[in-house]
Amino acid sequence: KTMPTYKLSYFPGRGLGEVSRQMLHLSGTPFEDNRITMDDWPKHKESTPFGQMPVLTVDGKQIPQSFAIARYLANQFGFAGKTPLESAWVDALADQYKDYTTEIRPFLMVAYGFGEGDKDKLRKEVAEPAINKLFTILEKKAKENGSNGHFVGSSLTWVDLLVSDHMGILETHVPNAFTAFPTVQDIRKKTTSLPKLKEWIDKRPVTPF
Amino acid sequence: EGPFRHSSSVMPAYKLVYFDVRGLGEVSRLLFHASKTPFEDYEVALNGDEWTTLKQKTPFGKMPVLYVDGKPLAQSFAIARYLAREFGFAGNSPFECALVDALGDQFKDYWVEMFPFFAVGAGLKEGDQKALQKEVGEPARDTFFTMLERVAKENGSNGHLVGDSLTWIDLAIADHIITLQNFSAGFVDAFPTVLAVREKAMNDPRLKEYLDSRPVRHF
Repeated sequence: KTMPTYKLSYFPGRGLGEVSRQMLHLSGTPFEDNRITMDDWPKHKESTPFGQMPVLTVDGKQIPQSFAIARYLANQFGFAGKTPLESAWVDALADQYKDYTTEIRPFLMVAYGFGEGDKDKLRKEVAEPAINKLFTILEKKAKENGSNGHFVGSSLTWVDLLVSDHMGILETHVPNAFTAFPTVQDIRKKTTSLPKLKEWIDKRPVTPF
Repeated sequence: EGPFRHSSSVMPAYKLVYFDVRGLGEVSRLLFHASKTPFEDYEVALNGDEWTTLKQKTPFGKMPVLYVDGKPLAQSFAIARYLAREFGFAGNSPFECALVDALGDQFKDYWVEMFPFFAVGAGLKEGDQKALQKEVGEPARDTFFTMLERVAKENGSNGHLVGDSLTWIDLAIADHIITLQNFSAGFVDAFPTVLAVREKAMNDPRLKEYLDSRPVRHF
């Protein structure tokens, strides 16, 4: 069976598209890393299923929604957990992460420069509670999983990648955000030092988020 | 056949814990009934005392929680997808599963937008339901249901949102429409192909016994 052609269309940043880029790189799968700038995006919007990115195009067929894409690729390449229940727990943590992004959004919009606001006030009142809520859950899960460098099971899953990359962005805006979460920090360390991932991280375009 | 179908040859013991509402837990109840899989349907009173103590025992402080042989799983759609895969309602190929997932994610995004209207309609919060319907409910509905209508048409107007058999997204949308119609009759009448998905799901013979007997709930 011939390898499908993959094209991942997203903005030039990491955000919700990076986890999928990482899985394609980790699996050694060639793909078109189709980066569309904010200026060019209006031209392309109508050609996407939901008027949003990322979109994964597999042999010409489109899959929208960042986590549907991530899960699809994770299942293709073995990053979705080894049993149905493990896969479900990866999904549950990813959904909890999604809830967190809704909670922290007012802070991140200002931190990323997409809106006006009191960054320090928002960091204290919005970001820190949201981070503590999510990372308390993640720390507990990481420990329950045996502090083995993974949130679920005993091999790399897409939620390891998702959280690790986000931590890299978040710490530039919230210093010492993860002091209370050493087991999660270990997951990030282990994940980001995977040779194939490190190779990609070292050569990928540098973007603020 | 979707991935991971019937992964265990021995049926696990299932317990679904949720409030005594339909909400985001009903899709999982529907999956158990559609597949004729026995489960303990444990309901917790929405405004009762039990939830206060139970909350701390849940993985994320929220419900639904699914217990599989005593092991908990949280997050409504992670649960629904897990059950759908076990019972064959997740999509008939990896690509179809991804499209079902994408619609589920889009539904969740819509849910966040819609929530201020929903909360008042459900009596969870005080507010001006009519005003929130106009300012919040209708715009959210228009964006989401216009997309669903197109998806249902592109899928062949066959009574399903994806593929040619019942999936968990058909069930989630169908049950949600009941809630919308309870809040405001005719709320989604402008989306006939989506209403046809609701019709087909709610008339699925596998669900008849449950739907005829389940408590009538506002949301």
